[in-house]
Amino acid sequence: MADLLFYLMAALATVAGVGVVVARSPVISVVSLLASFGALAVIYLLAGYQFLAAIQILVYGGAVMVLFLFTVMLLNLGDPDVTSGQTEPLFHGSRRSLIGLCTATVMGAAGLVAVLRVAWNEMPSVLAIPEGGLDPLDQLAAQMFTRYSLPFEAASVLLLATAVGVLVIAKRNRPGEKAFPSRAVAAEAAPTAPAAPQPASKPLPEPGPEPEEVLS
Amino acid sequence: MSVPTEHLLGLAAILFAIGMAGFLTRRNLIVVLMSIELMLNAANLTLVAGARMHSKVDELSLAGPILAIFVIAVAAVEAAVGLALVIALYRRKQTVSLDAVSELRD
Repeated sequence: MADLLFYLMAALATVAGVGVVVARSPVISVVSLLASFGALAVIYLLAGYQFLAAIQILVYGGAVMVLFLFTVMLLNLGDPDVTSGQTEPLFHGSRRSLIGLCTATVMGAAGLVAVLRVAWNEMPSVLAIPEGGLDPLDQLAAQMFTRYSLPFEAASVLLLATAVGVLVIAKRNRPGEKAFPSRAVAAEAAPTAPAAPQPASKPLPEPGPEPEEVLS
Repeated sequence: MSVPTEHLLGLAAILFAIGMAGFLTRRNLIVVLMSIELMLNAANLTLVAGARMHSKVDELSLAGPILAIFVIAVAAVEAAVGLALVIALYRRKQTVSLDAVSELRD
């Protein structure tokens, strides 16, 4: 029963993965990716790693997918044909993509060979739950905070650095700021000062919180 | 019917190949990022398969899943930074196509 479920989930993950790559609309890609993540979470659960399955659902299915969907909706990329007006080619038509496709085909064929060469009843199932039960959470936590405490702390530093970095990258630039001049700012500044010298027409910085205050 | 380790590894290889094909051939930057997530998931599946392979009869090996948890953290970080870059790119060029960003190529 569990083995049948594994093959069902493996097929679902593969089909959903193909759906991510070939879908024209990014929304369908996101939903396919969600299905693929869910199928993999079931496989982790079948293998006995319940905590990893929960993390997979929470972090991937919850946080990362919401991030992707939020970006797609924010930039209004749901239907590319409507926004662009014509049907753009979906794939690169370059040598790079040809090489990539060949490598990926070889790799997928290797995976298929690995699956097909081993008969179904030849080996003991890796999905059999051992006598000690599923992964014990206390053991996992004990290892995480003793043996793997250095990577744990490094991950916390990485998350903090990411939060600051994302804030800096995605921050909207106010007029008068030099770094990363956006097209909207240029279009806004052009009609007000068509031929005046640059220092005289430089707009005053808007009153408001400084970026350092926002960050702190 | 039983599941040998090779089938887990084969599934991981197939998923990785799908992700790599999407990464190298698609133009949409968001789909490219999703392909990277797919490849990281394949790596996680490999870690789980290895942990199952080295588990004892009465005790599951935990080194693989712990590493997979760190991989998930790094994947979340990568998605956040990548999508912030997508938003910054859209502000500048009003597009998310990879063909629009080739300044470093030539």
